[in-house]
Amino acid sequence: MKKEIILVESRDPAFQDLVLSTPVGEKLATCMQCGICAGSCPVSHEMDYNPRQLVRMVQLGLKNEVLNSNTIWICTSCFSCSVRCPRGIRPTELMETLRPIAIAEGIKNKNERFDGVFSDVVRKNGRASEFLLISKYSLKEPEMIKQAPFGLSLFLKGKLPLAVDKMENTLELDTIFKLGEKVEKKEKENKENKETGMKTEKEEPETDK
Amino acid sequence: MKYSYYPGCAQHGTAVDYRKSVEAVFRSLGIELEEVKNWNCCGALHVPDMTVRAALSARTLASSKGLDMATPCNLCYSNLMRANAALEEGSLKTRVNEALTVKYDGNTKPKHLLEVIVKDYGLTKLAEKVKKPLKIKAVPYYGCLLTRPENKFDSPENPKSLDNLIASLGAEPVKYYYKTKCCGGPILITNEDLALELARDLLIMAKDSGADCMVVTCPMCHLQLDAKQKAVEKKYNIKLDMPIIYFTQLMGLAMGFTCDELGMGKHLVPCDKLIAKIGR
Repeated sequence: MKKEIILVESRDPAFQDLVLSTPVGEKLATCMQCGICAGSCPVSHEMDYNPRQLVRMVQLGLKNEVLNSNTIWICTSCFSCSVRCPRGIRPTELMETLRPIAIAEGIKNKNERFDGVFSDVVRKNGRASEFLLISKYSLKEPEMIKQAPFGLSLFLKGKLPLAVDKMENTLELDTIFKLGEKVEKKEKENKENKETGMKTEKEEPETDK
Repeated sequence: MKYSYYPGCAQHGTAVDYRKSVEAVFRSLGIELEEVKNWNCCGALHVPDMTVRAALSARTLASSKGLDMATPCNLCYSNLMRANAALEEGSLKTRVNEALTVKYDGNTKPKHLLEVIVKDYGLTKLAEKVKKPLKIKAVPYYGCLLTRPENKFDSPENPKSLDNLIASLGAEPVKYYYKTKCCGGPILITNEDLALELARDLLIMAKDSGADCMVVTCPMCHLQLDAKQKAVEKKYNIKLDMPIIYFTQLMGLAMGFTCDELGMGKHLVPCDKLIAKIGR
């Protein structure tokens, strides 16, 4: 593995604080880098950084590397790491914590797009109709054409009904999904406050010159 | 025996076969499953905001009317269990309840259907219902979220409940080291290559064990191992031909139901050889 020097500039204290103050973040400080999470992970070989590395990077506040890594998206949420961690850290929940932060930061990738489509479908219909899900996602992801035979095979077996499964009343669902919007807003505001705070600190010596 | 029943979205789509077998088998055992009215999706693994996800499950749990809540899906089960754990925290519970019409009180106990059979109904009683012992070898495949992270009814590393259920039907649960290893289901749409690799490992291990079929407890595992099996065969140029059946279908076969009554004609990997071996 290539080794890189960590530049001071790549460390983001606001990001570090944000993650370390979450329920899963509070335990991150106790990580002893034993690697049982990486060893237990069924997909660590495809990750940009394995779970052990990711935990260390969050401790260091390496915001861009963490949020742009495929690690937080290809985690299958199998929780193998989480039931084995001798420190009681749940790396799966760290991934879950990082995903909304990445989305709020404007990170774009196919997993984020799928989650977006999934959330929209559930918010509007109350249920995740698979046909609606796949067709809406396919519109955003042209490579889904490769999965067309798979969809067709399900359809021919009557397992992909075209009728959308809906709740009778989804009004309450909208209120539920608004809970998430509030959090995103709050996190953004916190972040902006911290960023502006930092900027003024940096700017001061410059004006002296 | 009566439970409130949370079927989950897949039962109305890709898991219609599972649904058919659940209905047939549970009716025959005299276990009443009363479907929750106007239920909503649990958010599966793809609603990224965890407060929203907890609230989705809280809404479902709040409509249980004092009964334990049974569910056939590992993902739903896991989300219900996790919501109960997360909402022990008072401030989150208050915030979530602000969004709910029927308030969440934390008193509903979620149970996977496997737990209902193994713990509540009992395998001794189930064995009495067996009309024809299944003389086959079967892989007990639990998947991830039945036993992780919040489950209290079986070990997350080496669970035995499905093994015991298979044995009580007269079949032999084979030794299988990937019992709880991920099948790749959650990433089958977004990261197909990686998902197929995970499924391949499970299926090859199953084939090598000499099993006649794999028994699953989750619609997502079934979709991945059954409906995607052809794609695995094609990609890796291997022949697998491994029937994937729901545990309720296995029960149904032993209890004397026909394949049709159990929805088995809807599988993508044909069960003909398995059925011939069972003799039905």
